[in-house]
Amino acid sequence: MVEFKAALINEVEKLYKRKKVLVALIISLIFIILGQLSMVVLRTGLGLRGVSSMEFPLLVLSVVVNTILPLFTALVTIESFSGEFSQNTMKIALTRPISRLKFFTAKLTAIMLFILANLLFVMIFSLLAGCLFNSNSFTLKSVIKVLISYLVTLMPMVSLSIIIVFFTNIVRSGIGVFFLSIFAFVTFKGLGIVFYRYSGMFLTSMMNWYTLFNMETVPAFKIFLQFMMMLSYVIIFFTVGYHLFDKKEF
Amino acid sequence: MEKVIEIKNLSKVYKNGRGITDINLDIHRGDIFGFLGPNGAGKTTAMKIMTGLIKPDSGDVKILGHSILEEYQEAMGKVGCIIETAECYQYLTAYENLRQVSRYYKDVDDKRIDEVLELTGLLKYKNEKPRKFSLGMKQRLGIAAAILSRPEVIILDEPLNGLDVEGMIAMRNIIKNLVEKENTTFFISSHLIHDVELTCTHIGVLYDGKMLNVDTMENILKNYATLENYFVSEVERNGRI
Repeated sequence: MVEFKAALINEVEKLYKRKKVLVALIISLIFIILGQLSMVVLRTGLGLRGVSSMEFPLLVLSVVVNTILPLFTALVTIESFSGEFSQNTMKIALTRPISRLKFFTAKLTAIMLFILANLLFVMIFSLLAGCLFNSNSFTLKSVIKVLISYLVTLMPMVSLSIIIVFFTNIVRSGIGVFFLSIFAFVTFKGLGIVFYRYSGMFLTSMMNWYTLFNMETVPAFKIFLQFMMMLSYVIIFFTVGYHLFDKKEF
Repeated sequence: MEKVIEIKNLSKVYKNGRGITDINLDIHRGDIFGFLGPNGAGKTTAMKIMTGLIKPDSGDVKILGHSILEEYQEAMGKVGCIIETAECYQYLTAYENLRQVSRYYKDVDDKRIDEVLELTGLLKYKNEKPRKFSLGMKQRLGIAAAILSRPEVIILDEPLNGLDVEGMIAMRNIIKNLVEKENTTFFISSHLIHDVELTCTHIGVLYDGKMLNVDTMENILKNYATLENYFVSEVERNGRI
């Protein structure tokens, strides 16, 4: 565990120092501001109600979960793997007393922490913006609803990052991985529309699974099914990704 | 004498046919082993296997009694190394780069980091990012990282790459001091044969993926005027020059 902890701290430090995290947070903030501005314009210009303070964070989440969040998850994952492969810096840590499994897991955990931080950041600022500029609907229940929605979104994002890690281990170039990830994302989104009966199997249709938690009657079985589906993705792609990483020659 | 590195029947052949075949080698505590061979002889391949960066087709390497294939973490616990090129994170300062390395070991604190930076002449560049470092300075940083944890075994692939004369002398002194004071074992590959002659106590010659000979420097210099003469004669004897 000591080695894992060391690798995790190192990975978090590297993520932080590469400034990608900062850029991600700034762009997320811009998204929230733009979202809030459009709400203000709708309300004052067109006389529409817009959203209340507790609806705004969920509106923001519905947008970022299909746009910037997967984008930043992909960028950070590619940087963490393909970036280090191409700069040959992977061997700095690999020649230390740590097994490849622990190192691989530490890298993934750092990415997971980044996604969580990004989600929490967006949540806090959209809550603040929601409370400051919209009609007040603040209740403890609605705050918990927002918190749950943001926290459960971690699951599809982590699954996505593990799939991208698998890509980084089969495609040499980072740009190649980026385009492959976008291609796969768009393809599965499209397939989800064309073959809507089978869309439940595609990860891209699970990005919005937080909406299941917001229903009047929570569909526990459907949540369980989607959770198991995502867990299957995680297990399969973690295993294959690690296998390829372990076999990789540096 | 205690065996520190044991290489047994080590083979690794790449798709292009190059690599190493059936290498056997024992290195004892306190040895400074010079690993000589022309370009493409397989030195880096052997060293990459020794540090777990690639896996052999067959054979094994034991460091301090631990197999690199089965007990990697234990085997690398007391090893410091530079393989191929001294890499560092360009976006971290020299200090932060060493701090990254130090987290894997118990007794490495900021004082020790300053100590190795001083030893390698980088203390005044402690808070600078290696992006602006020369090749020699990056090499010094790599050496600092390799010796940071006070390892019992140090594996260095071309450690003098890019170093100026002053740096080479400093490097030689660092090696000799570590052997004298801490009985550290070194495994060094270098093309700078004169420097190897001045530094190493044992020599192994690798050619075309095979070990031609292993001998002590003392014996070699009894029979040959210089290490270079020995190296040329060894390779010639095998009909390859």
